[in-house]
Amino acid sequence: MGSTKASRAKIKLALILGLGSISIVLLFILSLTTGVMDISFQEAMSGLWNLIQNGGEHENTKELVLWQLRIPRALGVIAVGIGLSVAGAVMQALIRNPLVDPYITGVSSGAALGVTTAVLAGVTIAGLGVFVTPVIAFVGAVMAFLFTMLLAEAAGGRSISYVLGGVIVGIALQSGTTILMYFNADRLHSVLYWLFGSFSTLNWQSTWIIVVCVSVLSFIMLLYAKEFNVILLGDEQARQLGMNVKPFKTGMFILVSALAAVCVAFTGIIGFVGLIVPHLVRMVIGGDHRLLLPASMVVGANILLVADIVCKTVIAPSELPIGAVISIIGAPFFGYLMIRMGKEYVM
Amino acid sequence: MSCDGELTVKVDNISFSYGAKKSLCPRTLKGITIDAKKGQLIGIMGPNGCGKTTFMRCINKVLKPQEGAIYIDGKDLDRLKMMEVAKICANIPADVPDDFHLSVEEFVALGRYPFVTGIWWEGEKDEQLVRDAMKAYHVTHLKDRKLGELSSGEKARVLLAKGAVQQPKILLADEPSAHLDLKYKLQVMQALKDLSRQGVTVITASHDINLIAKYADLVIVISDGGIISYGPPAEVINEEIIRAVYGVEVTIIRDGGELYVIPLRPADPEKGDDENTRPCEKGIVAD
Repeated sequence: MGSTKASRAKIKLALILGLGSISIVLLFILSLTTGVMDISFQEAMSGLWNLIQNGGEHENTKELVLWQLRIPRALGVIAVGIGLSVAGAVMQALIRNPLVDPYITGVSSGAALGVTTAVLAGVTIAGLGVFVTPVIAFVGAVMAFLFTMLLAEAAGGRSISYVLGGVIVGIALQSGTTILMYFNADRLHSVLYWLFGSFSTLNWQSTWIIVVCVSVLSFIMLLYAKEFNVILLGDEQARQLGMNVKPFKTGMFILVSALAAVCVAFTGIIGFVGLIVPHLVRMVIGGDHRLLLPASMVVGANILLVADIVCKTVIAPSELPIGAVISIIGAPFFGYLMIRMGKEYVM
Repeated sequence: MSCDGELTVKVDNISFSYGAKKSLCPRTLKGITIDAKKGQLIGIMGPNGCGKTTFMRCINKVLKPQEGAIYIDGKDLDRLKMMEVAKICANIPADVPDDFHLSVEEFVALGRYPFVTGIWWEGEKDEQLVRDAMKAYHVTHLKDRKLGELSSGEKARVLLAKGAVQQPKILLADEPSAHLDLKYKLQVMQALKDLSRQGVTVITASHDINLIAKYADLVIVISDGGIISYGPPAEVINEEIIRAVYGVEVTIIRDGGELYVIPLRPADPEKGDDENTRPCEKGIVAD
């Protein structure tokens, strides 16, 4: 039996992961060459090699820049790309609606309100130091999600309840953010900086947290790829196939909101990745989550690396906010997708 | 076990009400008792809102009756986990999820979910069963097509293949031929008949009395949550019962073992349509 469905799928999967990883490595190195200081491709390669050999001990300024700024930033970009894409694919399966993204459950609005409050009120929490903002963003995101979940469950717990609940919570929290900003117009810069999304603040500490959280949470979701296929049939059908739907969905909703919250917490709001990447991948390789999730991971990482390189180079030495860049590329692309796939995606 | 080996579904005096305040709501099912044997095709008839779907949802444990007990394959349904129910009882849903780019083969394979022991992939045996089922229902040539691209007739065959691949002892099909043209209606009912001849107990609800009369071994007529009549089609289906249950005058032509129901007119045009709709069900969406 040379060509069973599983063996064909495994070959596809190996191909996607292989090609995707090669491209991630190339873009990673390219990303190391972009920025204010001129570092050539060769210098980046040799610098990277030296740093690996010396365990992070730098021999010159260029290696210092690579080690302190560019490597953690590029790794963070990869991790956030993976995290947002997985979160998008999982949210779409859980809510059974291919047009939702990780923020639909109010996650981004919750994080935004948290950060706005923290920054404008000058909150400091002993022991957290510079991590105050990400921690508060994370708490805001998860709290917003819990509100959405309570609301959705009270309304019957159906897919549409989650979408509507998310919209309601999102709007309410956004107006909170707006009011806070309205009365603190003189101190908005650092809030806006976060709201626009940026990778420029990433350092080793924050990158490690993102990488570890994204790896663990994505791995758990990968383990349940088969279950995400079953859940597409709807709660009742999934139950009839023997799945314990309610605890599965509740658990996954919490994990996926944590995943989205981690991505948001350090880098701000980066929309569209979680929406577009799973779509793009579904068009090419289909909807089986055993292929969709891993493929979304590599595609998401690639897209965000490219977007970050664009942000760093277009108006160098300044940077464009990545959230805006992704949306500028994403909106027309998504419009194109909707028109092209209109017949299939009748909601 | 109190049931003999032949019995695959034993429904013992179940009652069910929707709504939070059960005592205030009229019961959707009232004291239903049936015995279904291995290899029987059982057709459920009755007007809209009479409790057909509710009854079928009780059999696969989606709903839990407030009174009475159900035994499937000799086991008390109450004590079975959903995964154990899924290994005995399959259900043919009304439609396929067509927004997610699942292929026909991937969709049919979902029927093996209760049996897959690996973390990710179906085993060799599961894949063979998927191939066999796709062949049996003539959908092998569609295996890489997306569900959203199928016609209604193709979807119906794919749904049957997914039900069959689960290798159930009991197969539930609620209105399996509702949106199909005449040819596919007959094909679907024949497929259910074939499954029953292979030993599966098939329970199907339909508004098409002629299809039930032609294919079912036993007919259950439900009206207002209770069983009005239960037996072979030739004994159960007659002018009086259809007038009583559906409020329609019919004439029935009997030709050897076959019977054909020809609707003539509403029995009492003055009566409204709403008398079967119970207040407690209005606020509840079935799926």
